[in-house]
Amino acid sequence: MSIAVRELRRRFGQFLPVLVAMTLLVVLLVVLGAFLDGLSMSQTGVLRAQGDRLLVLSDDADLAPARSRLPDGTVEALQDVAGVDQVGRLSTVATTAARADRVTDVVLVGYDLATDVVPEPPASGEAVVDATVAELVDIEVGDTLAIGPEGQQLTVTAFVDDVAQGSPTVWVATDDWLELAATVNPTERPVPQAAVVGGDVQPDDLAAGLDGIDVATVDQVIAADDVVTQQSSTFQGIIGVTFVVTLLVVALFFVLLTIERIRLYAVLKAIGARTRDLVTGLAVQAVVIAVLAVVIGIALGIGLTLLVPPDLPLVIVPTRLAVLAVATVAVAVLGALGTLSRILRIDPADAIG
Amino acid sequence: MPALTIDKARKEFPSGDDVIVAVDDVDLSVDDGEFLVLEGPSGSGKTTLLTLAGALATPTSGSIRLGDVELGDLEGTERSAVRRDRIGFVFQSVNLIPFLSARENLLAVRQLGGGRLDAAARDRADELLEDLGLGGRGDNVPDELSGGQRQRVAIGRALMNDPDLLLVDEPTSALDSELGRQVVELLRDEVDRRGVAAIMVTHDDRVTDLGDRIVRMVDGALVDD
Repeated sequence: MSIAVRELRRRFGQFLPVLVAMTLLVVLLVVLGAFLDGLSMSQTGVLRAQGDRLLVLSDDADLAPARSRLPDGTVEALQDVAGVDQVGRLSTVATTAARADRVTDVVLVGYDLATDVVPEPPASGEAVVDATVAELVDIEVGDTLAIGPEGQQLTVTAFVDDVAQGSPTVWVATDDWLELAATVNPTERPVPQAAVVGGDVQPDDLAAGLDGIDVATVDQVIAADDVVTQQSSTFQGIIGVTFVVTLLVVALFFVLLTIERIRLYAVLKAIGARTRDLVTGLAVQAVVIAVLAVVIGIALGIGLTLLVPPDLPLVIVPTRLAVLAVATVAVAVLGALGTLSRILRIDPADAIG
Repeated sequence: MPALTIDKARKEFPSGDDVIVAVDDVDLSVDDGEFLVLEGPSGSGKTTLLTLAGALATPTSGSIRLGDVELGDLEGTERSAVRRDRIGFVFQSVNLIPFLSARENLLAVRQLGGGRLDAAARDRADELLEDLGLGGRGDNVPDELSGGQRQRVAIGRALMNDPDLLLVDEPTSALDSELGRQVVELLRDEVDRRGVAAIMVTHDDRVTDLGDRIVRMVDGALVDD
């Protein structure tokens, strides 16, 4: 066992302040990451539900589905493109859903194709409903919901999760959507907003020969969403600052520790330690502290997200936790190595006299 | 060949516009098994000479050879390796690693530089502790040892890698006269038993008789006693 690890075990109290500080910062990072992912996912459920299919929108929409108006004949033309297996329409409109005296904002989604998330479109007069709506207006399968200003009745056939698009969603067949959208906005003729295309086909092949459309992947459409990108950049900025603070905390701690150990390091150098040995020892201590902080911080962070009210959009994504863990350890090592110049300057002759 | 040969070694330090000569063209050699006592008043350059002999500093001019190795020719890692493998240090303030036990303080010398802690190293540490009268204290950390015991652990650490040269700086300064003499007697015995060359810097007249040769240093130069 190395000298550095022995010191960690036997003088753990010395490292407790930096462990506590790093753990709290990891908790903050976990919660911030959960907010970032929760907000992003709550804005993009309808799009993400389309999986790896391609989206076709009008070319004046800047990849914003809500602004898109699909040119007439587009769906039929897409079906003729080589490699295309499925084409369906996809449209959304913001409205309300009510049950008894409980009303909530929803996004009404018209669709033609089942996905891994939503089943085949229901029959006319029926709806597949975001499970969040069930909690908000207290409904069950078989109950009816009043949709829009005219309160058109839809019977609930199924619930689905993780399909929010800013608000909870209610999914109906496209033909029903066209009728209901007309009641929501009587001054405008409802038009399907986007086409969803499945099959072995490339975006350029789809766009070739069709005027007035843009073709994009789901990820590209999400990346073009101003709300998502603004939220993402804001949270990424806060997360970045938190990492900088973590770096400074670790660096400051190890600088102070090195100052305290100057005499010890001089002795170790005098009896034959290389600078590399001393720096490696610090790096090992930083890694152990960081790993402990990551484990405890993630556990506390997840616990904290379970305690917050359920209407807050917090989602724990394992890949983000993995990135956070690796980045925290890397930042800790970097912070510890900030003492390198001080260690290099320590004169072994100071051990004598 | 002497274990240590110092030839016209000079060490200067800048001090404003002046230069302080801490070691002034010193010639000195120490043979294997010789216990040399270096004495002199404070500020006479004894400690600086010790740092030059210990490859802790380089002379401004002159030559210092450990066996056939010219210390002035060595660069960082090589100097570290020579200090670790061929020189043993006993410091005035002991300077044990406070969170390691007595045995681990000895073994730490082996670990530095990436060495392995094999059974031979553990046996060597136990043997040294036994020889130094610390057989039952190997698991104690420095805070659990008396001043004399700590100094003996420091001697064991200095001998751990079987050095060619032992450099001892004021070993009795923190000990009472009886304990101080015991420690130096122990050093004397180890030098005899292991045939290692040793230089001991001291102010303490009560232990100088234990050396084979006494060299006096004044104002950076060696003087006849």
